[in-house]
Amino acid sequence: MQYKDYYQTLGVRRDATAEEIRTAFRKLARKYHPDVSKEPDAEQRMKEINEAHAVLADPEKRAAYDQLGQGYRPGQEFRPPPGWDAGFEFSGRGFSPHEAAEFSDFFAELFGRMGGGMGGAFRARQDYHARGEDHHAKVLLDIEDSLHGATRQINLRVPRLDAGGRVTVDTRTLNVRIPQGVRPGQVIRLAGQGTPGTGGAPAGDLLLEVEFRPHARLAVDGADLRMTLPVAPWEAALGAVVAVDLPDGALKLRIPEGTQDGRQLRVRGKGLPGNPPGDLLLDIRIVLPPADTPRARELYATMARELAFDPRRPRRS
Amino acid sequence: MRDDEILIGTLMEDSWLTLEQVAAACRVEPAWLMRHLDAGLFPHAESVAGIWRFSGAALARARRMRQIERDFDAVPELAALVADLLEEMDALRARLRRGGFG
Repeated sequence: MQYKDYYQTLGVRRDATAEEIRTAFRKLARKYHPDVSKEPDAEQRMKEINEAHAVLADPEKRAAYDQLGQGYRPGQEFRPPPGWDAGFEFSGRGFSPHEAAEFSDFFAELFGRMGGGMGGAFRARQDYHARGEDHHAKVLLDIEDSLHGATRQINLRVPRLDAGGRVTVDTRTLNVRIPQGVRPGQVIRLAGQGTPGTGGAPAGDLLLEVEFRPHARLAVDGADLRMTLPVAPWEAALGAVVAVDLPDGALKLRIPEGTQDGRQLRVRGKGLPGNPPGDLLLDIRIVLPPADTPRARELYATMARELAFDPRRPRRS
Repeated sequence: MRDDEILIGTLMEDSWLTLEQVAAACRVEPAWLMRHLDAGLFPHAESVAGIWRFSGAALARARRMRQIERDFDAVPELAALVADLLEEMDALRARLRRGGFG
């Protein structure tokens, strides 16, 4: 386990005041907020910043960290001496075992034994019958996973109270069947895969929130799939049957005669599976062939000459 | 991988999320969630016969509001305003992606 320099993470001196730490944290929280940050590693940085702040903003944890970290450099192999925390009175304000699970192993090793808060939150529940807590995680899927169903391996960091009253963080690996037709924003419930219950009460559930990776051509809108379909001017004007490549294979689609650019065609039942299944929505985009040969220019010139067409004059649709 | 090692989940309909489930999944106290509901800061919920139920979007909303309140010591109304703006941004980004500009 590597030593983490929380002062370096927040960019403050070791003798920084509480106000300086708060100011530094807020500046970084704004910079790396995952919703707005343009930094490529924003999510990871935000986790590190939160962890550093959780320690340095709490006088008890900061004092323990300062004592333990003397002489260590960032990245150096770190192992706290047994019983190092014996001299500290922890009131344990501020965060829960689950929040601790979001932090690093270094954090869990240092503060896993803290009496009133992290461990206490677990211990208090052992005195009576209580259903375990529900866990929550995100699962990132491809559109193909929803079309065909899939099995995904999911790694979870789960806090656990050992026999000595210490909170440790385990990694659990689950193989989960993704049901066909799942949509972004939906939640998959895995009964009994959350925190174990106490006193014989049932375990909590694991709630998996579904997100989709962006697809090169397809977008998901509820149960509907949507894509742009490029067509040639003569296909749009005269009507045609064109092949549309989809993850499930090619689909033959009739383009109606006189189709205008921007029009949307709907193919019922070709979206995400379900009852009822979603639709496939095709946004028509007319692509002009380049006038880059004498023959192409001649054809355009013929049209210009022989078609009484002014695109800026309102037409009846 | 053997078939019996694979967990099969059930797909929750949006209306199945209870107040306790949202609170536990987002690591907030149910009382925190109730306060925000009472103050009208949580649009992804409705009360049916006195029981609150939540859409899937409530998970992201609750996490965002909690994070903004905690990180910036923001009052709940300001956190809700920022969450509204972020949701608007999400919707606009989704429209851009659907239009092939994402």
